[in-house]
Amino acid sequence: MNIADFQDFARRFAESRSAVISLAVSVLFIVCAVFAPLLAPTDPYDLTQLQLSDALKPTGSKRMLPGEEVRANIRVDGGTASVQPASPTPTRLSIVASPCGPNCLAVGVEPPDAKLASLQVRNLPAGATVEGGRKHPIQPWWTLDNPDSNQARITSAGPLPAGLTLLAIAKSLEQETGFVFRLGTDNFGRDMLSAILYGIRISVYVGLVAAGAAMVLGTALGLLAAWRGGVADAVIMRAVDFMLGLPALLVGLAILAILGNGVSKVVLAVVIVQWSYYARTARSFAISELGKEYVEAARCLRLSPVRIMLRHVLPNCMPQIIVLFTLNIAAAISMESSLSFLGVGLPLTRPSLGMLIASGYEFIFSQKYWISIYPGIVLLVMIVAMNLLGDRLRDLNNPRLDR
Amino acid sequence: MNEPIFEANDLSRSFTVGSSPFRDLANHFLHDRQPTVLRAVDNVSITLAEGETLGVVGESGCGKSTLARLIAGILPVSSGERRFRGEAYESLLARKRDALKIQMVFQDPLSSLNPRLRVGEIVGEAAVLHGVVPRAKVKDYVVEILARVGLPADSVGRYPHQFSGGQRQRVGIARALAVKPQMLICDEAVAALDVSVQAQIINLLMDIKRDSGLAMIFISHDLGVIRHLCDRVAVMYLGRVVELAKTSELFASPTHPYTRMLLEGMPKISMQRRKFMPIQGEIPSPLNPPAGCHFHPRCPIATDHCREIRPELREIKPGHMHACLNIEAR
Repeated sequence: MNIADFQDFARRFAESRSAVISLAVSVLFIVCAVFAPLLAPTDPYDLTQLQLSDALKPTGSKRMLPGEEVRANIRVDGGTASVQPASPTPTRLSIVASPCGPNCLAVGVEPPDAKLASLQVRNLPAGATVEGGRKHPIQPWWTLDNPDSNQARITSAGPLPAGLTLLAIAKSLEQETGFVFRLGTDNFGRDMLSAILYGIRISVYVGLVAAGAAMVLGTALGLLAAWRGGVADAVIMRAVDFMLGLPALLVGLAILAILGNGVSKVVLAVVIVQWSYYARTARSFAISELGKEYVEAARCLRLSPVRIMLRHVLPNCMPQIIVLFTLNIAAAISMESSLSFLGVGLPLTRPSLGMLIASGYEFIFSQKYWISIYPGIVLLVMIVAMNLLGDRLRDLNNPRLDR
Repeated sequence: MNEPIFEANDLSRSFTVGSSPFRDLANHFLHDRQPTVLRAVDNVSITLAEGETLGVVGESGCGKSTLARLIAGILPVSSGERRFRGEAYESLLARKRDALKIQMVFQDPLSSLNPRLRVGEIVGEAAVLHGVVPRAKVKDYVVEILARVGLPADSVGRYPHQFSGGQRQRVGIARALAVKPQMLICDEAVAALDVSVQAQIINLLMDIKRDSGLAMIFISHDLGVIRHLCDRVAVMYLGRVVELAKTSELFASPTHPYTRMLLEGMPKISMQRRKFMPIQGEIPSPLNPPAGCHFHPRCPIATDHCREIRPELREIKPGHMHACLNIEAR
């Protein structure tokens, strides 16, 4: 196909507005798939980022930082106090202590603007109190709830005994962050927008790889059937009839039930279902091409049968096969989603669109619609766009349908 | 007479109609219906001398094209033998480089060219693959061949649909010439062209023949073209050769009733009004040909034994053979 032919083809393609829109949408989805890691605000595969506190948040809610607990041992020795952090993990907050008078010790939190839920000081000696605090009924523990000043002042009647070790525990309030879940979160606290973008990536990948592998396999078998004829033709085409007679989803279910789940296994299932369409199409077009005189001419030029099939016959069958490929990408995506929805497709940790719809399905009646609806809309738009694109390509390839 | 470049002895080709592995299996066990067999070419024996042009003429459906494909070696025979320079085709076709010496020009100038390939590839592909020219020099070689058939050098980068019918047929001829053939089979090579273009292509073929001494088998239903181009003519009817003679002799004194009727049907430029006499009856179905002489239902001089005995091709004059029981040498 040269440039003028391509321009003519593009002009005829553009006569259908819906085809142009679906081409744009398909390209958009492919861009989303390729650049998902750059576009997605979070990495939905990184399970350490998930917080159950974010689970099932509706559209537009902000991510909350959970409250933090800080512990520190405070050793009081005469007029000085030394602080030793005792938290098992590093923390944002830190505890400071300083004397505030002869019989007074101030325990505070850095940074001073942190919002605290409580500040507790343990192991106070008898006679010492925390200003404004309440004492534990039994233990020598004093607690300040929602302290405004983030500071506990310990006062006692006499000097604090030398070698006294106090334990201070500060708990901060949940804190809003600037991060917004634009499409809400699922039941694991996963950002739906990121999950959908990565889901598009998986769906497009499965669609392209599975439909592509089925195209290569099916076309090869179809060409073989057309070329050899006779027994090879009969065997291959009866296998095609057999595959076409079985419901695609049932075959996929059976294969994945045996093999287990995973991207490569879903691709294999789709290939096993779809190769038959390509084989049938490739065989019928190859037979009609084989009857043309240029094939006899190639035979007369003593070219090898493999070369005649691959270099002369196959390129003349390719337009129809490419149309089928476009339509079958959509079918592969919808099959992968169906299998994932049924729970045999992809693992939970790497959700595809079908998996996301399935995981939201149990919450849809408790008004948590966003988990299923948004991936559903994306899947619908993607499949409709690719089908319209394939339909238009088919119409352009069929002179009888084209005007 | 020269050593024959090609000879065919009792060449036959039949096609089984409506055959499939399953039906064959069923027939094998049930002995029910015999599959219908179409004998497209039936015991044809011809020879072609070095540098000679043999015309094969006949109505549509008489097996001309099947004969062309048998001679070109792109269709296997059912029985009989084909020899090229004395060598049987079975061993010749195994050596691809030598099998290239037999080339063919096809009827439909469009469908005989692969629409996806440029003319340069169409013409040069086999020559490069079989080592006729080194890959580095193929472009110049193709341009040279195209010049020989009267096509400009810039045709190399163009696709078949960008040419007119006559130019496409020139590409088809260039493709055959590119592998340096010694025998060229033209299967209705001008039938699909306008009359003016036909003349150009015929002149081109005659020029090529004069320059290279190519032996040619020219298949046509057009007696005028055959008369213009051929040294000898074979007339075919329903898969059999019914008359074979030198062109001048055949047109001057045809002996077989079928040939005579064909020649009478040929348009002539003459002043006097002439009554047009079509051949009586339709051509019978090749699936169920008449017994004996295939021509007897339409023959004005048929007798009873024409319905029973199959006439063999026999020599009635030196170099003039026919297959008729009733007409002897005159």
